[in-house]
Amino acid sequence: MRGKKLSAKTRAWKHSGTILALLLSGLLVNLPLSGAVGCDLNDPARDIKMLFPQSTGFRTFYVSVADSGGQKLLGKIENRLGDRFSGLFETIDVPYTVYEIYKNNELIGFVHGVNQKGRYGGIQVFLALTPSGEILSFYVQKFTGRGAREFRSPQFSAQFVGLKLQDFDNYQVQSRQEIPPGPISRIKNPVPDSEDDFRAILRAVKKNLVLMKFLVFNRQKPGEKSPIPTAVLSGPFPGPGSPALIEGESI
Amino acid sequence: MNEPKKISLFHIAWKNLSRKKTRSLLTVVGIALATWVLISLFGFNSGYKNSLDRDIDNLGFQMLVVAKGCPYEAATLMLKGGTGLKYMNEEVVKLIVREPEVESVTPMLMQVVFDPNKGQSGGLTAFLGIDPATFPSLKPGLSFKQGGWFTDPEALEVVMGYEAAELEQREVGDMYFIPEKEIELKVVGVLSRSGTQDDGTIFIPLKTLQKLFDQPDQLTSVGVKVNKEADLARFEEKMFQLPDVQVVSLTQVKTTIMTLLSTARVLVFSIALIAILISIMGVINTVLMSVMERQKEIGILKAMGALAADVFKLVWVETSLLCLLGGLTGAGLAVLTSRLTEYLIRQLLPFSPSGGLISIDAGLILVSIAAVVLLGLVSGIYPAFRAARMRPLEAIRSEEE
Repeated sequence: MRGKKLSAKTRAWKHSGTILALLLSGLLVNLPLSGAVGCDLNDPARDIKMLFPQSTGFRTFYVSVADSGGQKLLGKIENRLGDRFSGLFETIDVPYTVYEIYKNNELIGFVHGVNQKGRYGGIQVFLALTPSGEILSFYVQKFTGRGAREFRSPQFSAQFVGLKLQDFDNYQVQSRQEIPPGPISRIKNPVPDSEDDFRAILRAVKKNLVLMKFLVFNRQKPGEKSPIPTAVLSGPFPGPGSPALIEGESI
Repeated sequence: MNEPKKISLFHIAWKNLSRKKTRSLLTVVGIALATWVLISLFGFNSGYKNSLDRDIDNLGFQMLVVAKGCPYEAATLMLKGGTGLKYMNEEVVKLIVREPEVESVTPMLMQVVFDPNKGQSGGLTAFLGIDPATFPSLKPGLSFKQGGWFTDPEALEVVMGYEAAELEQREVGDMYFIPEKEIELKVVGVLSRSGTQDDGTIFIPLKTLQKLFDQPDQLTSVGVKVNKEADLARFEEKMFQLPDVQVVSLTQVKTTIMTLLSTARVLVFSIALIAILISIMGVINTVLMSVMERQKEIGILKAMGALAADVFKLVWVETSLLCLLGGLTGAGLAVLTSRLTEYLIRQLLPFSPSGGLISIDAGLILVSIAAVVLLGLVSGIYPAFRAARMRPLEAIRSEEE
C-alpha cells in the first residue's frame, strides 16, 4: 500500500518534469518575453543588396522613442506626422531597426522599416534613404490583404523615389488630403478598391521619414555615424573582397 | 508561620539560562538559524511543487497524439516548407477518451497557406483549428489582452496570439485576410503574451478551418490531459497501439529534469540535515558546559534531597527552553524573510514556476518547532544523564578542588 503511494508521488513528479520541459522549451523558443517588436528585414544581407546594389556592408542599430526622448519626443513626432500613435502595437517603446549602409568605409545611406496597420493585416514598409533623407527606393516587405501584388510592384515603388519628408509636410494623414495638392497627390493608387491600404502605406512612409528625422538625422552631426544605439550588429555581404565592418565598431 | 515558597523547575531552569546570557543567546541563535533553514527549505520544497502543479494545470494538455509523420509544431511545419501534413479522422478522439487515464482531450487541425507577399520570396502562415468547447479549458493559462474566444463553433472568426497580432497589427474588431484562400475573418480576441508558441499562433474554430480548407472530420493532432496520478509511460504505450498515430512526449528531457529535481531535493535535505546536526552539537555543548560548571550546585541540590530524576528533569527543561526559544525565533524569521528568500531563489534558479515558491503554513511551523524541541530533548539526554548520576559529595568536592 505504502509502496503504491510512493510510486504515485513519483509519477506526479514525472508529470511535473514533462511540463517543466514543455515550459522550458516554450520559454527558449519565445525569448524575449516582453517588449514591443520592431520591423526587421527578413534577410538583411540579401534585402540590402537589393535596395543598395553598390553597398559592401551594413551595420544595424536600434532606436526607440522611449529611449531617445520619451513622451516629449513622441509629441513632436506625432505633431510632425499629423496623427497620434495608437492601438495595441504602435507604442512608445517599439524598437526601430536602422540599417546603416556602407560602400567600403563610406556611409551611403540607411534602410529603415515600420509596421503599419492595414485593412486586413500588417504592412511592413521599408525605405532606402540617402544620408540626407531622400528616398532612394521603397520596399513593401509584407502586405496582408487584397492588391498585395500591385502595392509591391516596381511601378508603385518608383513613385516614391526622390521624395523627402518635406514633400509630405502638406499631406494630412488623418484627412488623407494634401493641401495644396503636391507630390503626394501625384502618387497613384494601383488598387482603387483598396483605398484604406493605399492611405495606410502613405502614412507608413511619412511615419518612417519622421522617425528617421527625429531618431537618427536630428541626433547625427555631419560626418558622424549613427546615434547612440541600444544594440549593434554587423553584416558584411558574402563574397570575396567584401570588406567586413567589425562588430562593435566605434559609434 | 509562612509556607516555604515553591519554586518550579521551569523557574530554576530559566534562572540558570539567564546566568550565562551570551552563551544561552548564542545557542538560541544557532537553533533559530537551523529552524529558519529547515522551515525555509521545506517551505520551498512544498511551494515549488505547488507552483509547478499549478503550471501543469495552466499548461493544459501534457501530451499530443498526432498523425504518424505529421509535423506537430508550426515551427517544424515551416522548416518542412509547409508540406507533410498528415491527418487522422476525428474518430480517434473517441478511442483516446475511453482510456481511464484521460482527463480531457481537445482535437486540433493545423493548416498552412503560402503567402507570396511575405518578403522577397514569400512565406508561410499557419493556422490552428481548435475546438472552442474544450481548448480554452485545457489552456487556462491563456489570458486575453483584448476580446475573448469565438462566439460560435463555426464562426468566421480568429483569435490571435500576441506576436501574431503584432505582426499583423490586428486588434479586436479588425478583419483578417487569409492569403491564398482570399477569405476574410473577424478578429475577436488577442491573447496576452504567454511565453509559449501560442504567442505566434492564429486560432480559428476547428469546424470553420475544416470547412475553409476542405478537410471535413480531419485532425492533425489531439491534445490529451491525463490524470495527475496516471502512469504517463504506460499511457504513452497504450496510445502507440492506436493505428497510424504517434505520441509526442519529451521523455529524454523529462528524465533529465527529473534527475535535476531529485538532485536538488537531495541537496535541500542534506543542507537541512547539516544545519540540524550543527545546532544539536551546539545544544549539547551549551548544556554540557552548563552542567559541568554547576557541579557543586547540583551536588548541593542532591545533598538537600533532590532525586536524580529531578536533576535530569531540570537539565532537560533547560534544553527544551533553549530549543523552544530557538524554534520560535527561527519560525518567525522564516515567515518574515520568506519574500526575500523567494526573491533570492528566483535570481538563482534558471527556471522557476510562476506563483509563490515558498509555502509556509501553520502545520509546517508547528511540525518544525516540535521537531526542533524533540531533537533538543534527545540532545539533552547525555548532559542530563551526566548531571543526574553525579554523586553529591564528589560533585561538591570536585568543584572545590
